[in-house]
Amino acid sequence: MGRSYFVDEAVGEYLSGLQAAPGSCVTGLLAGQSSPQRDFVVLAVQTPHRESEGQLKAPKGVSPLDDIDVEWVTEHAKQVSRMLPGGLCVLGLFLVTPPELSKDAQNGLKRLIFAVEKYIIKGRLWELSEEDVTDRVTLHICSKTKKLLCKTFDVKDPKSSAKPADWKYQTGISSSWPMLTCSVEVDLQIPVTGSSSDNTDKCMKDGLRRWAKQIEAAYCLINGRQALDDSELISGQKKNPKTTNRQTLPARIFVSDEQSELGERSSALVQVCSGSMRVRGVVHCRAYIHNNKPKARHAAQAIKRDIINTVCSRVEMFLEDLCINEGSQKGLCSGQQALPRRVFAPMPISGLSVCDYMFPDESTADVAERLKEMLDCETPEEDIDTSLENNQLFSIISGFEITDSQDDDSSKHVSEIQAENHKIQKPPKYYAVGSGRYSSFMCGPCSSHCSPCHSHISTVFQLMEKAKMFV
Amino acid sequence: MLQCDFIFRLKGILEFACQLDNPNGVQSQSTISKSFQDLRSKVTSKNIVFTVCNSPVLIWPNTGFQSSVESLTEASACGDILQWIESDDGGSKKSSKKKDKKKSGPTVVNMKLLFEVTEPAGNTAPSLIRVSTQQHCVKMPLPLDCALSVTTDERLETVCTGLVEALNKQLADMEEVVLQYRKGSSFLVPQPFHFQLPEPAGLITVVYPAGVPDSQLQAVREDLHRKFELPCDRPYLRRANAFHFPDAAYKDGYLRNPHIHLNPPNIEDAKLYLVQGVYSYHHYMQDHVDDNGWGCAYRSLQTICSWFQQQGYVETAVPTHTQIQQALVDVGDKEPRFVGSRQWIGSIEVQAVLNQLLGVTSKIMFVSQGSELATKGRELANHFQTEGTPVMIGGGVLAHTILGVVWSENTGQIRFLILDPHYTGGEDLQTITDKGWCGWKGPEFWDQNAYYNLCLPQRPKTI
Repeated sequence: MGRSYFVDEAVGEYLSGLQAAPGSCVTGLLAGQSSPQRDFVVLAVQTPHRESEGQLKAPKGVSPLDDIDVEWVTEHAKQVSRMLPGGLCVLGLFLVTPPELSKDAQNGLKRLIFAVEKYIIKGRLWELSEEDVTDRVTLHICSKTKKLLCKTFDVKDPKSSAKPADWKYQTGISSSWPMLTCSVEVDLQIPVTGSSSDNTDKCMKDGLRRWAKQIEAAYCLINGRQALDDSELISGQKKNPKTTNRQTLPARIFVSDEQSELGERSSALVQVCSGSMRVRGVVHCRAYIHNNKPKARHAAQAIKRDIINTVCSRVEMFLEDLCINEGSQKGLCSGQQALPRRVFAPMPISGLSVCDYMFPDESTADVAERLKEMLDCETPEEDIDTSLENNQLFSIISGFEITDSQDDDSSKHVSEIQAENHKIQKPPKYYAVGSGRYSSFMCGPCSSHCSPCHSHISTVFQLMEKAKMFV
Repeated sequence: MLQCDFIFRLKGILEFACQLDNPNGVQSQSTISKSFQDLRSKVTSKNIVFTVCNSPVLIWPNTGFQSSVESLTEASACGDILQWIESDDGGSKKSSKKKDKKKSGPTVVNMKLLFEVTEPAGNTAPSLIRVSTQQHCVKMPLPLDCALSVTTDERLETVCTGLVEALNKQLADMEEVVLQYRKGSSFLVPQPFHFQLPEPAGLITVVYPAGVPDSQLQAVREDLHRKFELPCDRPYLRRANAFHFPDAAYKDGYLRNPHIHLNPPNIEDAKLYLVQGVYSYHHYMQDHVDDNGWGCAYRSLQTICSWFQQQGYVETAVPTHTQIQQALVDVGDKEPRFVGSRQWIGSIEVQAVLNQLLGVTSKIMFVSQGSELATKGRELANHFQTEGTPVMIGGGVLAHTILGVVWSENTGQIRFLILDPHYTGGEDLQTITDKGWCGWKGPEFWDQNAYYNLCLPQRPKTI
């Protein structure tokens, strides 16, 4: 008995509308939510077009299937998963092929789905639990007959074979999904031992991991009720598919400082550090949970994972950015810099929201560009909600020394003279403001925020490769 | 003693962290104090939350008392909280356990300290602040543990305010201990201990530095004995004297004070004189040692050693049969081949071992005939009143432990509370009390013709 995927009709429309050049393939992502009983797909996005660089890639194999840029597909998947709020994730992939390639499509899909999963979970600060569904869906579409073949693979088992699955269209799948929200205060002090930039990254990761464990173990109230056990999230609610009212459920999180590794110590842990890092501010979090009798603790898990992901993503994006700006000097500098802040926009089709991260010198236009590129949807700038997290009060470029006994009032330092910080060296023409390999760039040659600036993107990618952005 | 119905116990870990540029410099003390100040602000902030263990109850004590359960308000009596707590056996706490013949003391309500990270004051997105000076980064978990004794009708709100005050005070005490025992960048974890002192002091909490043995904390105890007007010849504030909360199990598995589950015999005009404090019941076959038939005096000695350990006079563990035998060899009382044998020992040997291993002196009382024991009421009553230690008695072919007497000065009637080391079963309180392995016996219990020696251990005069 295979899994059942309940898919929003609008996703079906999107898939039917895909144009594939004759003889070529189209890849894309499927996103939604899995639950033990059934799965829901609310979004489909084709892989964006990648401008090839100076070197033309000669077709490698005999078939266009071999030409699928696995690296690019996985990068797209990672970018998209950063844009999904809690409860939603990349559930699988679709592949449109001409009829003659249909037989080999399954192998192609299997390779891709494992690669995508592996890349997405890299750097993630929480582990999948026993109850998480590890089946991912692969959807093959024949470009001529439009026939759909839906299968799943268990990504926990590299040897797993494809299992059949149902693909059913329904309207308004997620229209009544409750949305959990909260704003979380974060204040992490992370000591940095050693002086190389690798050390900085590792220390940051360790510090974040400890914090993530605290969040995972935290006590959670959803809508005023404990979210511990198997009790239903919304009891006594009649499921009315006609209603389009989406309930907003506030979540409250309570942590304790209990750390098992500090456990039964009789003396303090003292480390000699070359410095420290502090992540401080408020993050706004969202998670969606399906409304097919969801359990309270799954909802709690979804919002907690969103809290962890949003902090982790921003730090990752910032450090990647720093790598380009400061290169090997990273980790040796002092200063207070804004991490990218989270903004929300309505998702195509489903009425759920997606998010993005805006660096201080970016605007909603940049966000709109990214949404177009990554999620293949047009979003009017006025629909992008930037009000949930306030802009930090100082620019990314100012740097100033902070001593031991810093007081809390950071706004005082806005008027500080921008200290000459010789250690920050900008690369000559370009610097990256954004995340991952496919970022929004401030384009040196044309000095505008074109994100991405297609005419210059190839040069930028060369720079990024040099800066070892690709792992 | 004032009747106290409840003990509210709040536990939680708060991480102490600070960065020191120079651990030996003059600035470091104020940096440390500032970190403690921040922690005190944290516990008086709106973000702290008390959760009542095994219940859905959450209380925000610093926001004019809010709770997650509608029926619990500022005006609620603290006893109201019980109906929300699921006890371990699944039933409500109101159903009495049939096993306990007597009420086992106040009800403990356990609470945990948590901090809310949602509902923040502002919503400025995060920044990353990097400092690149060489520093010593100090982190230490502070094991906060506050306890308040209250009566049922005390308001819940008052209890919570009291707990917040207690947290504040404990942090101040911890700061003092940390600063006092700090050497450069070496910090000792401050650990709280609760002690039940005679009224009016009641339940108090003292913070001691981890790893510093009781022997080095004599001066601290002397100050406290003065402050609380405690007698200066017996320990009240050693770590071993720490209050044992009624709901906590003893990890070592031995029964404590099985005699409290018995009703003393009703003798006209007689008074009760009992062992003071806490002992563990040691008997045949425990600890995987088969000493059936020869180990009874050893077990009685172990019971006595357990008393000295739990009253805080010694820190050493209760000795094994081998260790007891070795001690006798060490003092020259026995040949080396005694160790590993199954030879009996008597009161004299018990006295010698108590002296050798524990530094405890004992008086020996000799009785030429068992029938004479009935006349020793006054001596035994005096012993339990002044020393209050368990008494080992050996004679005939048996050894026992005497835990108390019921004695009438006028009529001379006497009964003996006996703890019998010959029991070979498991730690089953019901069996032990029902079958008289711990029980009240009359003078006929003794072999009327045999002679007996009693070892009466004396409390060292120390705090």
